[in-house]
Amino acid sequence: MATRHEDRYKFGPLPLDGVAPGTNLLLAGPTLGGTRELLLRLLLGDDGVVIITADSNARKTLSAFEQVGGSVDTERVRVVSCTRESDDDLGPFVSAVGSPGDLTGIGIEYSSQYEQVYARGYDSVRTGIYTLTPLLVYSEDVRPVFRFINTVTSRIRTADGLGICAIDPSAHEEQVVNSIAQPFDGRIDVREHDGAVELRVQGLPDQPSEWTPLPALE
Amino acid sequence: MPTLVCADPDEETRAETVRALETADFVVRSVASVADVAAALDASVGCVVTTATLRDGDGFDLVSAVRERYPDCPCVFFTAEAPSELPRGGRGQVVEYVPQSVPHARDRLVEVVTAATQRLTQPAYPVPKAEAERLAALETYDLDSLSALDTFDRLTALMTSHFDIDVAFVGLVDAHEERFVACEGANWRTLSREDTICTHTILTDEVMLVEDVREDPRFVGVDRLEELDIRSYAGARITDDEGNALGAVCCIHGEPRTYSRAERDDLRRFADEVEEQLALRKRLGSE
Repeated sequence: MATRHEDRYKFGPLPLDGVAPGTNLLLAGPTLGGTRELLLRLLLGDDGVVIITADSNARKTLSAFEQVGGSVDTERVRVVSCTRESDDDLGPFVSAVGSPGDLTGIGIEYSSQYEQVYARGYDSVRTGIYTLTPLLVYSEDVRPVFRFINTVTSRIRTADGLGICAIDPSAHEEQVVNSIAQPFDGRIDVREHDGAVELRVQGLPDQPSEWTPLPALE
Repeated sequence: MPTLVCADPDEETRAETVRALETADFVVRSVASVADVAAALDASVGCVVTTATLRDGDGFDLVSAVRERYPDCPCVFFTAEAPSELPRGGRGQVVEYVPQSVPHARDRLVEVVTAATQRLTQPAYPVPKAEAERLAALETYDLDSLSALDTFDRLTALMTSHFDIDVAFVGLVDAHEERFVACEGANWRTLSREDTICTHTILTDEVMLVEDVREDPRFVGVDRLEELDIRSYAGARITDDEGNALGAVCCIHGEPRTYSRAERDDLRRFADEVEEQLALRKRLGSE
């Protein structure tokens, strides 16, 4: 049986304090403004990692993860690819769903990969979804997206994991983003300003609430 | 502990799963087919656990049967098949999944089921952060006696003539449904929460406006709104003295419609009146 984790999830040189196990964060920023890089940097550490990618295939996603300093240790790093781009057969640590519209398939593959990582002894797991925007765009009815997000964030909360889900707020009406934000414990806004990527946090105590620049990659 | 339904045609595997769930103090109804699940379902069922293949259909047929009657009921696939071997589910059939192949699989199942029965984990709508407190506050009201009150009937009748709209209602949003305690212009009693606009209205203290349901991405896919001829909506949240959102006072029209600043202020005043009446009833009930 799982035990309650004591350790907070920490974020290395990023200007963020650690967060409690079971935390879900919405990462709101433009597609081309450093949001993806920040999401991948938030997944760094020695924990299990499951990435759901909806904007580029698994190989490109893993390459980007390595570029920010991640290690593709297939014992603990897993990918669920739901792009329409073809995915090479990289092995069982990658699942290909084939469409961001197949929310049921994405949910099942995600749970399966989560369980595989957990079974290897990684009882702290960081989940990254990049991004929710295609999932919403492919859905004429937004209700299955709510069901998907509630299901995934509930699993992360129950399993003492960490969830980081990106969304491009400029691609959706404000009310939609506000409704999507409900199951998340906090929101990290991302922007590019004077050539630098900055973040600010809403909804979580002891985090920078003013725009704060990100340190460059080492 | 809540009641569960466990569906698996293999008696031996099912008995083992049921035993694990019963050891965790759940009451388990054990079935082998989609038809059996339909018979075993009632409002006391907090979660359905199913394998991928049943005697008369697959696990997703079962999910459809469950959610047709109880849209919020969490469903968990607990199967020996790998994801690639599972039947394909429809878009709205997102479920939890625990593979039987992982070590201590039944322990993992118990953890997932326990979480699913403790709070809403698979609803198809946004849930307010203080949902438990909100529901506890709502339980302090006698909804049946509120429905019998003439006050709300008079108020909603006044609203339809004031705003020149088709329907006005006072709705309270409980755990799974919106209950209409007064409704002028239509005979609505309850609506599943995932089909309501009010479940979004209770998230905000501003008057919620949907000038044209067909143009709003949150509601354009909700067929039930079309069936009820709900084309435009304005709603003001009702809260109690502690700020718990109980429901909304709403204007409905069969055509797209805008609301001026003055009209939105008037709607807010109607909602204030309902809040005062609710507070009064609560005080009278506690004396």
